[in-house]
Amino acid sequence: MNFPFVAIVGQEELKTALMLNVVDPGIGGLLIAGEKGTAKSTAVRALADLLPEQTVVHECRFYCDPEGELCSLCRERIEQSELETSRKKMKVVELPLGITEDRLIGTLDIEHALKHGEKRFEPGLLADANRNFLYVDEVNLLEDHIIDLLLDSAAMGINTVEREGISFTHPARFILVGSMNPEEGELRPQLLDRFGLSVGVTGLHDKTQRMAVLQRKAAFDENPAAFCARWENEQNALRQRIVNARDGLPHIEVTDPVLEKIVAITAAMHLDGHRPDIVMMKAARALTALRGQKSIGNQEIHDAAIFALPHRQKRLPFEERGGREKLLKVLEDCLG
Amino acid sequence: MKFSQFVGQDNAKLGVILNALEPRCGGLLLVGAKGSGKSTLIRLARGIFPVITPFVEIPLNITEDSLLGGIDIEQSMREGRRIFLQGLIPRAAGGILFVDDINLLPQELLAPLMAFNGGGDELQTCPGSVQQLPRDCCVMGTMNPEEGDIQPHYLDRFGLCAVMDELPDCEKRLDVLRIFREMPNFQVESDPSLMAMVATAKKHLPEVKVGTAELENISAVAVRNPSHGHRGELFLFYAARAYAALQGHDRIAQSDIERVSELVFVHRRLHTSEEHSDLPQDEKHRESATDQMSPPEPEKKAQSMDADFSLKPRGSAVTASGAEETMSIGNPFQVRRLSFKKDRLKRHAAGKRSKTHSLGKGGRHVRSTMNSAEQDIAIDATLRACAPYQKSRGREVKLIIERDDWRFRQRERKTGHLVIFAVDGSGSMGARRRMVAAKGAIQSLLTDCYQKRDKVAMIVFRQDCAELVLPPTSSVELASKRLSTLPVGGKTPLAAGLLETFRLIKRFGVRHPETRFLTVLITDGKGNQSITVDSDHREEEQELCKLLSAEPKCDFVVVDTESKDNFIKTDMAVRLAENLGAEYYTVEALRAELLSELIQSKNRD
Repeated sequence: MNFPFVAIVGQEELKTALMLNVVDPGIGGLLIAGEKGTAKSTAVRALADLLPEQTVVHECRFYCDPEGELCSLCRERIEQSELETSRKKMKVVELPLGITEDRLIGTLDIEHALKHGEKRFEPGLLADANRNFLYVDEVNLLEDHIIDLLLDSAAMGINTVEREGISFTHPARFILVGSMNPEEGELRPQLLDRFGLSVGVTGLHDKTQRMAVLQRKAAFDENPAAFCARWENEQNALRQRIVNARDGLPHIEVTDPVLEKIVAITAAMHLDGHRPDIVMMKAARALTALRGQKSIGNQEIHDAAIFALPHRQKRLPFEERGGREKLLKVLEDCLG
Repeated sequence: MKFSQFVGQDNAKLGVILNALEPRCGGLLLVGAKGSGKSTLIRLARGIFPVITPFVEIPLNITEDSLLGGIDIEQSMREGRRIFLQGLIPRAAGGILFVDDINLLPQELLAPLMAFNGGGDELQTCPGSVQQLPRDCCVMGTMNPEEGDIQPHYLDRFGLCAVMDELPDCEKRLDVLRIFREMPNFQVESDPSLMAMVATAKKHLPEVKVGTAELENISAVAVRNPSHGHRGELFLFYAARAYAALQGHDRIAQSDIERVSELVFVHRRLHTSEEHSDLPQDEKHRESATDQMSPPEPEKKAQSMDADFSLKPRGSAVTASGAEETMSIGNPFQVRRLSFKKDRLKRHAAGKRSKTHSLGKGGRHVRSTMNSAEQDIAIDATLRACAPYQKSRGREVKLIIERDDWRFRQRERKTGHLVIFAVDGSGSMGARRRMVAAKGAIQSLLTDCYQKRDKVAMIVFRQDCAELVLPPTSSVELASKRLSTLPVGGKTPLAAGLLETFRLIKRFGVRHPETRFLTVLITDGKGNQSITVDSDHREEEQELCKLLSAEPKCDFVVVDTESKDNFIKTDMAVRLAENLGAEYYTVEALRAELLSELIQSKNRD
């Protein structure tokens, strides 16, 4: 049983950033940087209980989207008949640090091969992660060859397996969430850029908040079921808010003035490529939906920039402080 | 032998008892020198748990599948379908996982072990097999800090940590000896009286009241012991409550909290000023002048316990120039890449800079290949290769595996490059603001390390001793931060600096045997302080140079900070470089070298 999401004390930025990814999975994940013992993993695991249902191909091992990219099996099936659909809850799949290539991308199904003398694909973790959250704790400690595979799939949105005589492709569009303690080492820049949003987490310093952490965690350990029951109403309310936001998202118009403001900000920050613009637009829209508003306001653009830009800011290796001040200054100039 | 017969070590014993009473105390790490009874104590702990409690020892040679669970090859072969084998961690449900010398466990195994200690409860070990990990089991580990460190974020997951006391008084040493006389064959005996005490306390535990006042007290103690995050407070809560139950108290008393706080915070307390980065700048500076040289706690312990090489400051020493100041960092410049020249180890290059394919059977299994000189068969891949043909080959009971089916393991291990900066922080470096230039040089070298993703460590020697101000880390930023607050002042204990470097190389080498070291000594070479009172510092320096230069896999660079336009230059650093077999640069030459290199490479294009 997970600790209830709404019972996590403070860490509002972290919670909002996670929810934005549920509202719009296209935002592209989240990097959580922070010191140890600050509820990074707890929050991500807790998110699982808030996730909504989505439409999938019935009994497809890869949770294919009937209207999107299909796996090899579904492509065969669709030639014979229409695809049946069903509803399935999104989930959080954890990627352990010690994972091997086989387990990540899938391999030959040995049992089937022994019994029937046929080669069949045995799905790996990437199959589970399709259209779901893929969570990597201590992402900066991940082995290089695993990062290569992740980047490969993340870029294409498809996992192509060509090994041990098996050819198989399936969609692998996962929402990558990584947590790291920057003291243990930096992240490869290429991987860094893959994360849509980033937040920094620190321990709470307020005394009453610290006490609340202690109280709630102790109560949860004592009797998880009773503790969760106590928070169920608030959890439900949040679930409903997320569902509403997801439904409302397509109706929020991204007007030209909004786009102009976004571009003005990214231009002033001298950022590479177009990913920051796109992510910022999506995040601003998702924030608007989550806040139950009809149109994107300056506040949403401002907050979206805080989520989407800091880890993309160009900086010299040791230029640490000052980055945020610069961003805030630019935001003030552009948004007034 | 019974648990209660163990002499002394009250903190360590309390740690064991608290965990027996309340597994949420988060396990126990015993830190101590060799032969201090760490492992014995944990083995004896078995005697205070009920007989049915699982007690699983994890050997250092354990493979990942045995730890977490994997495919049972024998059963799978026999039955022609996949049978899973339970790993050691799941087998320890409700009991104790004991890891002797946990700091020597390969990091890839430590990760799942400690992740689970942090409360993760599900783990996919192989495709199709999700193992439920127990929540109510505690990890007890021991480590001897001489042998290597454990990374701070794994350390943080241990609820309690006890440092073994040295037993200086003869009475207690005699007691220990007497036990061995009585019981020549060590055997763990059950300890019914203590067990009964734990059982009573366990029953009493839910009755211990915890009100707002108690929580406030706990918070207050936690605030006095600054640490990252919230784990410290949580563990303090559980430990204090367990201790209160043990004492038969009805509510957690202040004394209960105080008694266990050392166990909770000894390994997570922050010491360095950089961690309080929200302090105003000037305050930070003031603090850094006094406090910033303290290394993190485990390191400190490592030093005080390391009796052979004790570097305790000598009381009699008088500092040459009492004033301390912090110099700013001079302008960084591009430097020529300092190369790793010597490579006496046999390794294959693997394309990626920091990895080599390891010879022998160490390292991580990354993929399987059809050819290998090592003949280390990858059973799972071999099974997969032969599986589709079993029908056509007419398998009846046993699998038919042909030569073509064989697959071999390809293993990889990170060969880290550790760059050690040994910086002279003596008063002479302050003169003519030489430290400014030296810091500029270090900063430039750090930039280079960042780009090459090397690990860095920093040792500073000044006044009476040498200290590891930055344990090996891949965070070059942290190194840069330490650098900016590095003060200068006092004498030059060059010998101590060399010794500290030597010890770091030894210690780190045990954990990471394929690491290559590059030591950058930044000094004017004018040592004037010996390690022990009676010996000559020059002799010590020479001895240590000999030791260091005999280390395989080590390269040295001496950056001379003496200003050469002065006619009384001594060129002591030149001699130092000769003794070490090091490359020699002056600060200015580092810059010049780069220019000439650049020009050369441009001409070649």
